[in-house]
Amino acid sequence: MEFNEAHHMFRKTVRDFVEKEINPHADEWEKAAIFPGHELFKKLGDLGMLGLEYEPQYSGGGVDHSYTMIFAEELGRADVGGIPMAITVQTDMATPALAKWGSHELKMEYLAPACRGEKICGIAVTEPDAGSDVAGLKTTARRDGDDYIINGRKIFITNSIQADFLVVLARTSDEGGYKGMSLIVVPTDRPGFQVIRKLDKMGNHCSDTGELAFDDVRVPVTNRIGPEGRGFQLQMQQFQKERMIAVYTAVGAMTRAIERTVAYLKQRQAFGQPLINNQYIQYTLAELVTEIEALRYLGHACCEQIVRGEDVTRLATMAKLKAGRMGRRVADQCLQFHGGVGYMDDMWTSRYFRDSRLASIGGGADEVMLRILTGMEGFQA
Amino acid sequence: MRRRRPSESVNIIVCVKQIPDPETPAASFKVDEAAKKVIPAQGIAPVVNPFDPQATEAALRLRDAAGEGKVTVISLGPDSARDAIKHALAMGADEGVLLNDPSFEGIDNFQTAVALAKAIQKIGAFDLILMGRSAADWDMGVVPAGVGQLLGVPVVTVAKAIERNGGAVKVDRVLDDGFQTVETPLPAVVSVSNEFGEPRYPQLRQIMLAAKKTVQVWGAADIGMAADELGASGRWLPLDALYVPKVESNVEIIEGETPEEKARNLAQKLRAAKLI
Repeated sequence: MEFNEAHHMFRKTVRDFVEKEINPHADEWEKAAIFPGHELFKKLGDLGMLGLEYEPQYSGGGVDHSYTMIFAEELGRADVGGIPMAITVQTDMATPALAKWGSHELKMEYLAPACRGEKICGIAVTEPDAGSDVAGLKTTARRDGDDYIINGRKIFITNSIQADFLVVLARTSDEGGYKGMSLIVVPTDRPGFQVIRKLDKMGNHCSDTGELAFDDVRVPVTNRIGPEGRGFQLQMQQFQKERMIAVYTAVGAMTRAIERTVAYLKQRQAFGQPLINNQYIQYTLAELVTEIEALRYLGHACCEQIVRGEDVTRLATMAKLKAGRMGRRVADQCLQFHGGVGYMDDMWTSRYFRDSRLASIGGGADEVMLRILTGMEGFQA
Repeated sequence: MRRRRPSESVNIIVCVKQIPDPETPAASFKVDEAAKKVIPAQGIAPVVNPFDPQATEAALRLRDAAGEGKVTVISLGPDSARDAIKHALAMGADEGVLLNDPSFEGIDNFQTAVALAKAIQKIGAFDLILMGRSAADWDMGVVPAGVGQLLGVPVVTVAKAIERNGGAVKVDRVLDDGFQTVETPLPAVVSVSNEFGEPRYPQLRQIMLAAKKTVQVWGAADIGMAADELGASGRWLPLDALYVPKVESNVEIIEGETPEEKARNLAQKLRAAKLI
C-alpha cells in the first residue's frame, strides 16, 4: 500500500498526540482506573480525529480507511492499552452502523457530537449469557407507540461509565436466533438506565468497563439505526471494523514493544556484554519482527479491500486471529527478555502483558475467528 | 526592499529549520571529523527544530487575531526540509518557500542569515519575521539578529508573548533572572522561545490542505547570492575542527561504617581535591 504526504503528516500528528497527551498520564490514569474521557476526546475531536471516515456534514473527516489504519497503528503505540481501546470503541465500534444506516436527525444528534468529542459512546452487545454467540442475547426493546421500552442486562461494556449514549443491540421481535434484533441509540440519562457496577479487569485498567441494567428504559423509535430487525446484520458489519482496529492497534503496540525491548537489551549487560549479543535473543527477535511485518501487511491488504469497498471478512478474520495470538507472544517474549524487572508491576512489560491479552477475546474470541474461517474455507465434509 | 505599511492585515514570515533529532541517543550521534560534518543517524528521521513550531504558532495567532493576513514559511536546507515547511502549513500557514541549492551545503549561520534575508527581500512585503530562539543543532541563536541587521529592522529575541498594537508589537522577553517587556515598531524580527506555550497540533483538515499546497523551491541564483558568498569556502566563521568530546568518568565508592563517617570521608576527599 502506498502512503502519500498527507498520510505521513497525519501519522506524525497522531504520534505526537500520543506522546504528549496520553503517555505522560498513562500511569496516573491506570492507577485511577479511569481517564478524563470528555477532556481527552474533545482534544481529539478538535483535531478531526474522531470521525475520520464519516461525512463532513456530521463533523467527520471525509477521508478513507487508510487514515483509520494509521490512526489505530499510532494509538497502539500508547503506553497504555485502555486509551486506544476507549477511543476506537467510539470511532470504529459504536458508530459505524450509525454513520452508515442512521437517519440524518439521529446522526446530527449523536454522531456529530461524537465526532467533535463532545459526547462519549459505547457499543452494548455482550450480555451475561451471550458474548461471542450474539444470537443468544436476551435484551428486549418492546414497541410502545412511538417508543421502544428496553429491558435487559449488558456486561463488559467499554466506555459505559462515562458514556453519554450507547448503541444497544436488542430484540425488537420474538423471532429468536439471529432474527428480530435492532440497533438502538440509548442516551444514558434516560430513567431506568443504570450502571450496576464498574468492572475490575486484568488489564486495560484506565478504560472504564461496566455492567449495565436497562429497566423500562424508554427511547423514541426514531433512535433505531436502520431497518427494524436488521440489527444483527448491521452489528456483524460493524464487527469487521472492530476486528481491523484490533489488528492495527496490535501491530502498533507490538512494534513499539520490540523497539523498547531492543533498546533495553542493548544497554543491559550480562556475562560481560550487552544482552542483545546473545544469539538466541537475536534470532527470537528476528522471528518476531518478521511475523509482525507479515501481520502489518495483512492489515494493509485488509485496508485496501475496505478502501475498494470489497468484503473483508475472510482476511479480517485471519488478521484478527493472528493479531490476538501474536500480541500474546510478543508481550510474553518482551517480558521474558527483561527478566525480573520485566515482571515488576510498574514496568511497561507487565502492563503490556495484561493489556494485550484482551485481543484474543474482545471483538470475537480466537475460537470464533477459527469457527468463521472453518466455515469460509469449507473445512467440513 | 518594500516594507508593508502596517494595517489590520498582518503579513508574517516564519523561518524554520530541519535538524537532526535532538533525542538521538548519544551512541548514535557520530561526526565525520575529516569532512567536519555530522553523520545522519541511521533510522532516525530529522525533525523540525523544537522552537520553530512555537514561532509558527505565534504567527498564526497574530494572523488570526488580525482577522486577515498571510503567514509564509521559509526553510533553508536539503530536500527533506520540505517536511518542516509542510508541518507549518499543516498547522495553518499559508505559503512555503524552500531554499535549496548544492552550494548551501556547509554554510554557516551568517551565510544562512544572508540567504534568508535575500529570500525575504524577494518575497517583498512583511510586517514581522518570526523564528525559533535558536536551532537545537548548533544552538547559536544568531540568525534572527543577522537577518534583522541585514534587513535593517529591529530585532527582539527570546519572546514568550507577542501582542500586536497597530504598527508596533509589544514583546515579553525571557531573561536569565526574570522577564522584560519591550515595544518595537514594525517591521521587525522576533525570535520565539519555548515559554511561548505549546504549538497547536495540525488538524486533519489542515493536513489535507497542506498536502495539496506547493512549496516553491528557490536556488542560490533565484535569491541573487553570489558564488563567493556560498559554500564552506564562503563561511564567515571557519570551522577548524568538529568532534564528539570524550566523556571520561571515574567512580570511587566512599567507604565508611556509618552515613556520618561516609559523609566525613567524602568531605575530606573533596577538600583534598580543592573542590570545597
